[in-house]
Amino acid sequence: MRRLSRYLQRAAWHALTRLDAAFNRLYGWRYNPVYHSGALVVALFLVLLVTGIYLLFFYRLGAPYQSVAALTAQPWLGRWIRGLHRYASDAAVVAVLVHALRMFAQGRAWGPRTLAWITGLILLFVTFICGWTGLVMIWDGPAQVLAQEGARLFDVLPLFAEPISRAFVGDRPIPSAFFFLNLFAHIALPIGLGLLVWLHVSRVARPGLLPPRGLLWGAIGLLTLLAVVWAAPLGAAANLFRLPGREPYDFFYTFWLPLSRALPAGVAWALFTIIVAVVLFLPWLLRPAPAQQPAPSSVNEAICTGCEQCYLDCPYEAIAMIPRPGGAQDGRSALIGHVDPALCVSCGICSGSCAPMGVGPPGRTGRDQLAAVRAFVAAAQPGARDVVVIACDRGGGGVAAGLSLPGVHAWPVTCAGNLHTSVIEFLVRAGAGGVVVASCPPRDCWNREGPKWLEQRLYHEREAELQERVDRRRIRVVHAAWREGDRVLAAVRELQADVTRLAEATDEGSIDVVRACELDSVP
Amino acid sequence: MRSIATVSALVLGAALALLSGAPYAGESADHALVRLSWRARGERVQRCRRPTDAELEKLPPHMRPQQICERGITPYRLRVAIDDSVAVQELVRAGGAENDRPLFVFAEVPVTPGTHRLAVVFERDELEYKNPGNQDEDSEHRETEDLRETPRRLTLDETVTLAPRAIVLVAYDDERRRLTLLAARDSGP
Repeated sequence: MRRLSRYLQRAAWHALTRLDAAFNRLYGWRYNPVYHSGALVVALFLVLLVTGIYLLFFYRLGAPYQSVAALTAQPWLGRWIRGLHRYASDAAVVAVLVHALRMFAQGRAWGPRTLAWITGLILLFVTFICGWTGLVMIWDGPAQVLAQEGARLFDVLPLFAEPISRAFVGDRPIPSAFFFLNLFAHIALPIGLGLLVWLHVSRVARPGLLPPRGLLWGAIGLLTLLAVVWAAPLGAAANLFRLPGREPYDFFYTFWLPLSRALPAGVAWALFTIIVAVVLFLPWLLRPAPAQQPAPSSVNEAICTGCEQCYLDCPYEAIAMIPRPGGAQDGRSALIGHVDPALCVSCGICSGSCAPMGVGPPGRTGRDQLAAVRAFVAAAQPGARDVVVIACDRGGGGVAAGLSLPGVHAWPVTCAGNLHTSVIEFLVRAGAGGVVVASCPPRDCWNREGPKWLEQRLYHEREAELQERVDRRRIRVVHAAWREGDRVLAAVRELQADVTRLAEATDEGSIDVVRACELDSVP
Repeated sequence: MRSIATVSALVLGAALALLSGAPYAGESADHALVRLSWRARGERVQRCRRPTDAELEKLPPHMRPQQICERGITPYRLRVAIDDSVAVQELVRAGGAENDRPLFVFAEVPVTPGTHRLAVVFERDELEYKNPGNQDEDSEHRETEDLRETPRRLTLDETVTLAPRAIVLVAYDDERRRLTLLAARDSGP
């Protein structure tokens, strides 16, 4: 089972990296809809809310099909607002699935992220129920099949004394209460969705709930165009005395129908239960063994200056500022950072945010990074015309394993966001001609905000910033997804050319950088 | 690249719209259906017996009853034959966890379109309820005065002609106290 799960995860990862690269090529990483799949769901939910309110004014419980048909016949507003409502709901399913696929493929669904995974699955389930009730409300042929299939499935459960299926046989009119119940669920469930979304993002700081404006309006524009050009499908009116013929079914919400209808209701429930259980526990199955799980960050209280930067930068709100044990003595700060291991995903972003290098996961603090880079320089001995590529080993163009270019040395890191700027300074002072930092595209960062903080530390003087004395002409940051090694190569070639053009190397190499950085950090 | 991106977005949008109304035939045209659906009120029966000594000993003196009574509703047997071939034969028990609700009949029999002879028998199953293995029965009280009770035996014997995809419904007419056939105009009996 575990082996199969790993195979599935690997396959999902391969598919995802290809998708990422293709969409980056088309839309650029800023507007790549695959990166913004989660935020797109929220945006589409808002579209559904607005269009749904309009549709509500025209929907009649006593004549559901006739009212929807009349809406569809309205040439100006009704037709395209109904279409937008329908297509936005379909796009929401696609976006949710892509988002779930990304989290699964990148192994971001266990440990402190379990809550997000479980609430995400509940959100998906509730979205399906919303879609089901919405489609049934139309009361055309597909709606009839959905209602009858739902009744068949529920009739095997020991919930109702009277088979629900009897409501859909035609000996009496469908009770208005049925349509009212559907309408109520269709409106009430999205309110629950709001609460679930809050829970879903409750363990992340600064959740990006909306995509960039260009993507937001682009997506809405595209769906509106579709709705105008291509009216939302409407089948023939439901007829309880006819078996359904060939009708337009919404694949995104009814893809399960052919399989379910072919199975006995009990078997269908069993299959559904198995699928839910597998999807629910898949990340748990794939989590590393306890000994291999990355350790959470910790704070060196002796070094901590209480500057709050790690607390501000942590993308998972795992760091809190607490009173220093023993109080503020000897000029030390009254507060110190404290990492909650239950919330820490060991992203290491705090390592890069701490100027005095007093916080981070074991082996990845700023001091550990400096020790490692010192060993790297000793081994690689980069020259004045050489370029060192610091690459995220989860993205960064997939070059972390090495580049077979003369004068180029690769140094992998677990996330470009946890790179301490002193490492870059050390490399430049140690004689390297230049440094390329290859990070994942900002919205693709496995640790959410790594590239954003990296860029701010390098170019916008965010705390733990790259010192002014470092020649920025020797530094490049490139955002590249796993299959975008060509972007990194282009940046490397460009920097190599610049480095060659620089008249002389600076004389900073004579400074003991480690000592200088450590001295800088002492309060 | 911008035009390729625009075209790609349009293609993706078109795929979304296509899948939003994907054609699917719920049933093939060479099917029709006989559906049976009704609610019946069976005979309420109360069976009482004297408790055994062992049962009485387990209870405190002030809680020892003279009689132990069980109430229930007699089940019915449903038999459906299409063209003299038995399609459904089952015992229909009263609904609810305590079997004290009405009896609900719901069955579907797929048939080929065309003319068929449909025979339905729905009759009370006395033997099943009396539980012949139980010899301790002391008394049995039947509430036969309930006028809404479904007759002991209901039958329907009709020839029906079904168009492709047509559904004919066998239901119980509570006022006329007999089984009836309901169908759309183009698939009537």
